[in-house]
Amino acid sequence: MKQLTKRSPLGIVIAIAILVVLCVIPMFGSNYALSILALIFIYMTMGQMWNLMGGYAGLLSLGMQAFIGIGGYCLAVFSVNYGVNIYLAILMGGIFSVLFGLAVSPALFKMTGVYFAIGSWVVAEALLIAFSNWKFVRYAQGIGISTVYQLSNTQIYYTALALGVIAVLVVLCLMRSKTGLALMAIRDSTGAAEAMGVPIYKTKIKCYMIACFFMGLAGGVMYMVQGYIVPSAGFSIQWTVAMTFMVIIGGSGTMEGPIIGAVLYVLLTQYLYNFPGWSMIILGAVAVVVILIAPRGVMGTLHEKTGFEVLSPRRSLH
Amino acid sequence: MLQCLIQGILLGGLYAIIGIGMSMVFGIMGLTNLAHGDLMILGTYITMLLVSSYHVPILLAVLIAIIVMAVIGFLMQNFLVNRVLDKGAEPALLVTFGISIFLSNLILKIFSADYQSIPNSLASTNVVSTSSVSVSGIYLFSFVVGLVVIVVLSYVMQKTNFGRSIRATSNDTMAAELMGVNTKRAYSYAMILAMVTAAIAGALVGSTFTFNPASGTSYLIIAFGVVVIGGMGSLSGTLLGGVVLGVSQLLGGYFFGTGVQMLIAYIVLLVILAVRPNGLLASGARK
Repeated sequence: MKQLTKRSPLGIVIAIAILVVLCVIPMFGSNYALSILALIFIYMTMGQMWNLMGGYAGLLSLGMQAFIGIGGYCLAVFSVNYGVNIYLAILMGGIFSVLFGLAVSPALFKMTGVYFAIGSWVVAEALLIAFSNWKFVRYAQGIGISTVYQLSNTQIYYTALALGVIAVLVVLCLMRSKTGLALMAIRDSTGAAEAMGVPIYKTKIKCYMIACFFMGLAGGVMYMVQGYIVPSAGFSIQWTVAMTFMVIIGGSGTMEGPIIGAVLYVLLTQYLYNFPGWSMIILGAVAVVVILIAPRGVMGTLHEKTGFEVLSPRRSLH
Repeated sequence: MLQCLIQGILLGGLYAIIGIGMSMVFGIMGLTNLAHGDLMILGTYITMLLVSSYHVPILLAVLIAIIVMAVIGFLMQNFLVNRVLDKGAEPALLVTFGISIFLSNLILKIFSADYQSIPNSLASTNVVSTSSVSVSGIYLFSFVVGLVVIVVLSYVMQKTNFGRSIRATSNDTMAAELMGVNTKRAYSYAMILAMVTAAIAGALVGSTFTFNPASGTSYLIIAFGVVVIGGMGSLSGTLLGGVVLGVSQLLGGYFFGTGVQMLIAYIVLLVILAVRPNGLLASGARK
């Protein structure tokens, strides 16, 4: 077993330096750069959470878009219809995501493996249909989130930055805690873990609740950026496509993976806007090729070849 | 309501053919092909293209679609799936997910997002027309084709050497190889069979309903539902699964409105998944 990466003072200094840079960028960055960075942080959050469930806990979900939609709609409904403060509305998005996640968990957690994956997808599709037929959210017409129109790019940037940093910190602390150990034990061998007294169900649920919460927050912040929400977009499988792409390319089961994946994903999709209609085709093809050639992703392969790692507690059977 | 029941049962036949390819691939290779829905829709688009743009008679078009799909399936199996099968369940799932995204967006690029349909004469004829029940010709035809496909497939798998070699490979790969079965080739055959059924299903779906590039996802869920309810790998189970889904959907639409009919079907599917994840016909032992 490898040792836990010692947190060297140099590492902490570098981390703080990066954070400071990120905080002062709005002073000289262009609006475009700010919006790109904001997107990167939001997607990074999604990637971290998907990775937490799929890469660490072994709960491969294809239905996390349900919580993006819930988060987005909470922002829309609470801030527009009820005049709630935007940030509070986003927070409520996270809370409602957890509540909904808990509500479907008794059914969902009876399923394993591919059943769980597709079961979660079906739940998300069911939500899509339900919202499309719900008068309260204006059916499939959607809601224009007027309350965010006057937000400045800088405000959005800082919100996204805060979200991204908090998400990474949460996952970092979680993986170094007892729960993190339990998660990796479950991922590596559920039977052995149970025999050693790891509370399987409780650990999975804890992980799931954290993922749901941050996914809901991410959805809220994403729709803070987008400004208009319809069911077919809010609950679209595209979110999961983005999450899986980020984690596959970046490296599942690592913490830097989703960060790199988010950067690559946002930059790639931005570049591919020049070729309308091609982005998903290319993403799909690239994802397939990466799985075949380098199934551990960028970080995983990097670690294999050079032993390089920054944030991840490496304890795996691979 | 009788109308809904009968229509639902017939729809079940169509759903069964949609699911049978997925069931076979899972039963034999242990692979859940998330691209199954999009592959089927690809077959639909091929048939539609031949019929609408090249005025090929519909049966010939379906035949050509079957051959094209078989080739695609073989290539996909040999170059993509076989490589990823021994890497574990997760990579295989994600590869088929990637293929699904690639395919549906490729179709979107080529054909645009408009809803299309395959023009045919059966869709507009009513075979039975009484005051309480009327049965659309295409629904009845789909059901019959579904039964025929299931019977023929069952026969092939049980009684022919070809089928036996495939079943042997799925039961115990090493033993099969010791007996001289080329297991990689058996997997390819299984995938080809699955693609053939998908092509047939695609043609039927395209003749019965309108479709667009995104339809693959909805049919994937239906295929999965059919397979899960009937039990993965059970051919006759897919018929039961199809009927359960079809009846739930149409009864749901009858009671709650057509907008939410799929929602009702999904809820039924989720309940069954939660209660009997191995299917209604399984003995109950959990894998």
